[in-house]
Amino acid sequence: MKIIIAGAGEVGTHLAKLLSKEGQDVILIDSDENKLHVVDSNYNLMTQTGSPTAFKTLKTANVKDTDLYIAVTPFETRNIVSCSMAKGLGARKTVARIDNYEFLKPDYIPFFKGIGVDELIYPEYFASAEMVSAIRNTWARNWFELYDGELILIGVKLRSNAQIINIQLKELALKSHNFHISAIRRKHETIIPRGDDHLEIGDIAYFTTKKEFVSQIIELCGKTVTNVKRVMILGGSRIGVQLAHMLGDSYKIKIIELDSKKSFKLAERVPENTTIINGDGRDIELLQEEGIADYDAFIALTDSSETNILACLTAKEFGVSKTIAEVENIQFIPEAENLNIGTIINKKLLATSKIFQILLDFDSSNAKCLALTDAEVAELVVKPGSKVTKAPVKDLKLAKGMTIAGLIRDGKGMLVSGNTQIEAGDHVLIFCLSGAIHKVEKFFN
Amino acid sequence: MIYSKREHINFNVTLRLLGLLLCIEAAFMLVPTITCVIYGEYYDLYRFLISVGITAGVGLLMVVFTSQNNNSMGRREGFLLTALTWIFFSLFGALPFYLCEIGLSVPEAIFESSSGITTTGASIISDVEGCSHGVLIWRAITHLIGGMGIILFTLAVIPMLNKQSGVQLFNAEVTGITHDKVRPRISHTAKCLWAVYIVLSVSLVLLLWLGPMNFFEAICQSLSTISTGGFSTRNASIEGFNSDYVKIVISIFMLLAGINFALLFNLAIGKGRALFKNDTFRWYIAIVISAFVFILIDLFINGEYTDIKTLIVDTFFQVGSAITSTGFTGSHFSQWQGASIIVLLILMLVGSCAGSTAGGLKIDRLMIIIKNAKNELYKILHPNSIMPLRANGKIISPELITKTGALLMIFLIINVIGSSILICYGFDTFDALFASISCTCNNGLGYGVTASNFTSIPGIPMLIMSFFMIVGRLEVFTIIIIFTKAFWNKE
Repeated sequence: MKIIIAGAGEVGTHLAKLLSKEGQDVILIDSDENKLHVVDSNYNLMTQTGSPTAFKTLKTANVKDTDLYIAVTPFETRNIVSCSMAKGLGARKTVARIDNYEFLKPDYIPFFKGIGVDELIYPEYFASAEMVSAIRNTWARNWFELYDGELILIGVKLRSNAQIINIQLKELALKSHNFHISAIRRKHETIIPRGDDHLEIGDIAYFTTKKEFVSQIIELCGKTVTNVKRVMILGGSRIGVQLAHMLGDSYKIKIIELDSKKSFKLAERVPENTTIINGDGRDIELLQEEGIADYDAFIALTDSSETNILACLTAKEFGVSKTIAEVENIQFIPEAENLNIGTIINKKLLATSKIFQILLDFDSSNAKCLALTDAEVAELVVKPGSKVTKAPVKDLKLAKGMTIAGLIRDGKGMLVSGNTQIEAGDHVLIFCLSGAIHKVEKFFN
Repeated sequence: MIYSKREHINFNVTLRLLGLLLCIEAAFMLVPTITCVIYGEYYDLYRFLISVGITAGVGLLMVVFTSQNNNSMGRREGFLLTALTWIFFSLFGALPFYLCEIGLSVPEAIFESSSGITTTGASIISDVEGCSHGVLIWRAITHLIGGMGIILFTLAVIPMLNKQSGVQLFNAEVTGITHDKVRPRISHTAKCLWAVYIVLSVSLVLLLWLGPMNFFEAICQSLSTISTGGFSTRNASIEGFNSDYVKIVISIFMLLAGINFALLFNLAIGKGRALFKNDTFRWYIAIVISAFVFILIDLFINGEYTDIKTLIVDTFFQVGSAITSTGFTGSHFSQWQGASIIVLLILMLVGSCAGSTAGGLKIDRLMIIIKNAKNELYKILHPNSIMPLRANGKIISPELITKTGALLMIFLIINVIGSSILICYGFDTFDALFASISCTCNNGLGYGVTASNFTSIPGIPMLIMSFFMIVGRLEVFTIIIIFTKAFWNKE
């Protein structure tokens, strides 16, 4: 598939690298040549210097034969204009990154379609949405709802009180068919478990399950549900404001912002249940004064990943039960996960996942929906006559490093066990280690 | 995995890929084997079969004894593999020359083989016409492999390299300062460039076949021309055909092969304007025309030629042959004196456009260095001026200018070393310089003692020259970097 990405910022570059590794034809456009230089000489893609809002650039990049045009420059208006131009020149589908929640309202979708922007992505919105679900489900590390909540993927850190520790998974599977352990993250490594693997203390286990069985998982993992009412946010970024709006009236929110001018502006933009404090969030006395110990959740959203990680650790010391850190340096994520920070948010990965989902809708043969640090979750549509339909799952001889977690048949979620027979037309959810995706494809073609 | 320990240099994958590439070379050797069968030259047939066997055997051993996993390739492996590929191809390519009826000595065979692979075209065989058809076609095939690049060929046909590591290899092999990609995927780029290469070769075969050549000679001459190699099937090179038609057709195709293939590809798909807007192309044309006119006048005044037609055709041919680094002899240029021969030497050094099959320093670099010098001079008068360096519509960064300067320096040092060695072995100073530049620029023209062939060079300098050819073909850095401490140091 031919994909053009405009804007070699963090999201654009990350996306370009991933798509190029997936074997897509990628052209990366940016007006700053220096940003392109490193990517061009080290990755299997083409770069082009030029403004994404110039017809000349778009024509040279051959937009008319492009399947997907993604505009992810830092400026939303530029992205929209660029998409509109690309569509006008013949791009099949366009995606623009935006900064404005208003644009996402369903009423305006026809308007954007009209000017040639097919999809809008708003990374800050995904980040806020993810945080909202993290706050509602404090016991989970990750919480992903797939296919409108038909299947749920939950990452849980296992402590010594979990009942499922040190039991072989095949025995576990005999007791209950209500969940599927799809991946285990142990120290720096992701394991795709098989029947004779077992869980250990300190692992993060990824369960695929359905909504009605969530309570069972909470019990098995020895978790308790805490009801978050008071939330402290460090850093008055756009995500923070978005989060304050999304959480709604039932929460008490406090935002700590260093910059005094920005604090005044923030005060105008946040809902009434939110208090703005102007001060340095790294100052422990200030945190104490603001009563950090009484808060149920602490969210660090400053521009610096390091500050966020350390602030969350401090909050943990004060006894805050749920902490969330925004970590934009992807390299830090595995380290941060090993520290006891509850949930890690990364805008880039979220935006990338969303774009992969758009790719899936577009060309259902191969796409991923989620990227964990070194494992991938792929959604695949089963074609008639493919290898997976030939036998029940246990007889398929799946390659090492991949597992089938669940499937959607006729819009209903189903968990997969050894006896499940996969049929053509099913949407199958597959976990595999990075780099094993081509092995997966063999079973589906 | 992020934290998994990476080996300093992954020899496993390097050797494995090298093995695969050697198998490809063995496959290419089947062509002369078949040729021997066609022409009934059974005395060379089994020798080619032995060469195929040895090459494929070593290649397969390398593939079998390395692990299939552990395929991570970084920058170091990219350089190492590219360099080793060219060296190994030259060594194994020498087998037929060593084994066959012509029976060259080891250094001679290696010289002949690297001269072919690097498209230098400097020959050691004094009686080319006495060689079997198999040997002749093998000489042409080495040009074919080397012309566009071994790695580039592999990128086009083997999907295995169509990923990140392939880009490293591409960068290590393809000539020029920056590398134009025609298509997003590296394998598509390689296929496009090879398509241009093949179309040019086939058209030239047909054109020459229409002329006085037979089919076999047309193929050999064509492969030699488009790769800007220079091996001929006649002792007197192109002069041996004694036909103005051949000279003119070959001149035109040599000059075409000296143009950036990415631009030719764009021309073919209807984006021709890019070609004429390209600064390098304009300089190329300007240099060719001015050199042509200069030599024409010089020769005319000196009265070397009596016949105007021969003068024009010969000069045109020789200018094309020098600037594109083909190194065909199509005139009695060894009798030229003074200014004309110096101009030829400069043309050899300059070379053609980057991204073509030609050797030499490349006009792109010359252009950057001259423009930079102009800017520096201007800056002396206007110290506060900001002077960006523009080439082909792009701003060239200061780092690239420094890199170009460094390459030029190393290139000149190598030639000083090369000619000094030849002088030590008793060569005339100018002949030594000419021969050295001819080798490092992958040209293959000879002057003075090397005029008709390079047999007069003794064994050891012959091997050194073979090595310099590879250094020149991979544009210095790819080979020299392997001899630096930083390459092998873990820190």
